[in-house]
Amino acid sequence: MAASDVVFRVKRYRPESGGRPTFQEYTIPYRSDMVVLDGLNYIKDHIDPTLTFRWSCRMGICGSCGADVNGQPRLTCGTYVRDVHRGAVTVEPLSNFPILKDLVVDFDDFLRKLASVTPYIVRKDWGDLRKEYVQYPEDVEAYRQQSLCINCMLCYAACPVFGSSPEFVGPAASALALRYNRDTRDEGADARLARLNTKAGVWECTFVGECSVVCPKDVDPAAAIQTLKFLATMRHMRRLLMPGSSSR
Amino acid sequence: MERTSFDIVVVGGGAAGLRAAIAAAESDPELTIALVSKVYPMRSHTVSAEGGTAAVLRDYDSFELHALDTIKGSDFLADQDAVEFFVARCPEEIIRLEHWGCPWSRDEDGRVSQRAFGGMSVKRTVYAADKVGFHILHTLFQTSMKYDRIHRFDEYFVTSLIVDGGACTGVVAMNLRGGTMVAIQGKATILATGGCGRVYEFTTNGFIKTGDGMALAYRAGVPLKDMEMVQFHPTCLPGTGILITEAARGEGGYLVNKEGERYMQRYLPGKMELGPRDILSRAMVQEMKAGRAFEGPYGLYLGLDLRHLGAKKINERIPMVRELVEKYMGLDPIHELIPVRPGQHYIMGGVSTNGKGETTLPGLYAVGETACVSINGANRLGSNSLSECLVFGAACGIAAAAFAKKKASYPRGAAAREALKKEEARVFDGLLGRERAKETVAGLRVEMQQLMERDVGIFREESALVDACGMLGKMRDRFAAVGLADKDRVFNTELTAVLELDFMLDVALAIAHSARNRRESRGAHSRTDFPQRDDANYLKHTLAFRTDGPPRIDYVPVTVTKWEPVERKY
Amino acid sequence: MTGREYAWKRRPGWWLRNRRYLMFQLREAGGVVCALYGLVLLNMLVQLRAGESAYAAFLNLLRTPPVLYLNIVLFALVVWHALTWFMLIGKAQPIQFTRQPLPWKVVFGINVLLWLGVSGAVVYLIFGGI
Repeated sequence: MAASDVVFRVKRYRPESGGRPTFQEYTIPYRSDMVVLDGLNYIKDHIDPTLTFRWSCRMGICGSCGADVNGQPRLTCGTYVRDVHRGAVTVEPLSNFPILKDLVVDFDDFLRKLASVTPYIVRKDWGDLRKEYVQYPEDVEAYRQQSLCINCMLCYAACPVFGSSPEFVGPAASALALRYNRDTRDEGADARLARLNTKAGVWECTFVGECSVVCPKDVDPAAAIQTLKFLATMRHMRRLLMPGSSSR
Repeated sequence: MERTSFDIVVVGGGAAGLRAAIAAAESDPELTIALVSKVYPMRSHTVSAEGGTAAVLRDYDSFELHALDTIKGSDFLADQDAVEFFVARCPEEIIRLEHWGCPWSRDEDGRVSQRAFGGMSVKRTVYAADKVGFHILHTLFQTSMKYDRIHRFDEYFVTSLIVDGGACTGVVAMNLRGGTMVAIQGKATILATGGCGRVYEFTTNGFIKTGDGMALAYRAGVPLKDMEMVQFHPTCLPGTGILITEAARGEGGYLVNKEGERYMQRYLPGKMELGPRDILSRAMVQEMKAGRAFEGPYGLYLGLDLRHLGAKKINERIPMVRELVEKYMGLDPIHELIPVRPGQHYIMGGVSTNGKGETTLPGLYAVGETACVSINGANRLGSNSLSECLVFGAACGIAAAAFAKKKASYPRGAAAREALKKEEARVFDGLLGRERAKETVAGLRVEMQQLMERDVGIFREESALVDACGMLGKMRDRFAAVGLADKDRVFNTELTAVLELDFMLDVALAIAHSARNRRESRGAHSRTDFPQRDDANYLKHTLAFRTDGPPRIDYVPVTVTKWEPVERKY
Repeated sequence: MTGREYAWKRRPGWWLRNRRYLMFQLREAGGVVCALYGLVLLNMLVQLRAGESAYAAFLNLLRTPPVLYLNIVLFALVVWHALTWFMLIGKAQPIQFTRQPLPWKVVFGINVLLWLGVSGAVVYLIFGGI
């Protein structure tokens, strides 16, 4: 092993052989500006073509390449090897998800949860399709942060609550629900809050806060969930105390 | 049992595919639509588009002007009737997306903002900070969840079209998760799989842009149009090829050489940094050849100077540019020059279609970067591509829906079963059975990419092109020896890489041969041996037809309506 | 030939992997402990009702070294619980006067100052006297 080599310890799992996931070690050449994804691609192209992982844009916007690197959920395309090189670089599939093969996990559950929070504009009257709705810059700013979610699932991998209670709606889906609730063009906040005001909704969350720490896009889903708890409670109280009032 | 017979099958879940699926769903509540994508739709490469999307929204603008800019930008190779159709429908698409929740950046009065862009006479590029593709894609994807009748087939890799009785009746796809093949039938099939940037070594394109839809249509006998028209974007980060949006120049950025000179004054003083991309990319190569470029670990580069814009403008209008440069170059554009060099970005060419997305094969449509209508001709203006996906996505979805409605019955199951058996044999028994030996998928792919980069790049010339055509032909044959180490059927990304290389070799051959046969320079196609534009002989589109040997090249005239071709001067 | 998904299993001691997880567990455990200490205070009331000697005996018990050490540990946990709570308030209930809500550190600072102020007033009342 040359001085400019690095060892990758990668968790492998073959679905057709079954069994348990095991580690496999690879020694590859090191470049000071390489990211973990570069290492995985080197292994696949030159050493072991059976190594399987997802990736596409390599610039941190498509959300495909999430993995646990040295125990932390990260985007492999945005993690420099020099930052995580502790003797070896350990790469495992994202925690809390069923493993399909090697580093590829099954997150269809998230897509169902996303669909369940009505992630689109809901309106009774769509108005004139030749004129945009007026929305001021500060209105856009109100939901901008939550709209940046790239669906990379790092937050779900980081959340210990999701790990033990898989029915929890989770950070990303909640952040996107808030994104639509805060959009001045939307009228569907009531239905979304009803869906989230349940045990498997936002109330599973015990504010560990790790989701916001690992989010590569600074969406701050933890804050979004606490805000939703407040909004859901307000709505609940309003409905209890003023049953006749209209909801937004 | 999963449903496998639909009215419409859409292949590809990017902006064009999603827009077509939604348009079809909205046009008729009875239609069933399959959305088949080899990745989850939000991973589609639309997501990385940064700068903006063009439309005539204000009084200082007009359809006439947008059309003229587009046609002139295309170096008069665009079909003008299609361009007229296109520009008239951009505004309603932008508004429709806005109604669906797209977070367009806004002016102080609450109206949608527009910025300047390359080749556009006025500010007509609508934007969402500098993440327009991300926001459009997520808006479309999340909106598509409204329609139950859009059935998604996520991570299904389409390996071939089903052709029955001279019409396309669906696709055969490999379910990556299940490790099985399935025939998905449709009365109409829409290809929206994006471009083929990964045939080049240095590209802004993501890993998945391998020209799948182009090759699928090509193999079914549909010609590929104007494949030689490949766009090289002037500002890509050296090494990674990550795109730095044209919006950086739209907001006032300068391009400088190592002497600190805004060198564009020597090439295009009328437009400077906001000239069309082909002219800018050529200028960069010429600066490099003249020894006025910086030198770095990844070769020569020029500088993009944003320092005079100030922190506030950069953080508000182009924040992702700053993020990307800091992360991947370790530099802060507020204080330092951004290293940039030209890289492959888009292909104007594609599956030949008419203005409704119809191909020569009944039942088969194509839209988006996969298709060539053509509105982009020999060079595309920035921010026209996303508008194209929306306008033609909608038009194609509606056309395919009308076509499907006219067909009383669903396609014959027998043809689908036969196609499925054939593909299972070809892929699982044939390809998967080959042993990995000297010829590897990665090795052959890199050779092809380096060849394309060298010989079919920004500047082309006859002997290099002839050489490239010959080498690619040999690589096409060498592909027969590529084997696999991964013998599993479940989620076999080595197998998908082999299938993608298969597609890419076909597409690369079409590009090289089309380039060789166009003996003029027009738009992005620059021949050092034929430096002038030759309207007398070449005011026409190249058509490449697949054969067992080199592609057969033919031509079809350009449609001219109002704008007589003149010299392209800025 | 399809494959089997491997169901993810959580490793015991997951909360030791990461400093933040550990702080979270301490915070949650601290909450339980605070609640339990409430029972001790309740017991004090019970002993007070039972008579002077019972009350005095209980107070003596509270003054023994092991119980004092226990109190120090409990006090640390209570303070940690309070501090982490203040750190979260800015996120849980954002206060907004301008385009952006107040940063959480500002809200944290305000709450800590208020807390110190109120605690100081309570200490004065008990030991300073009215």
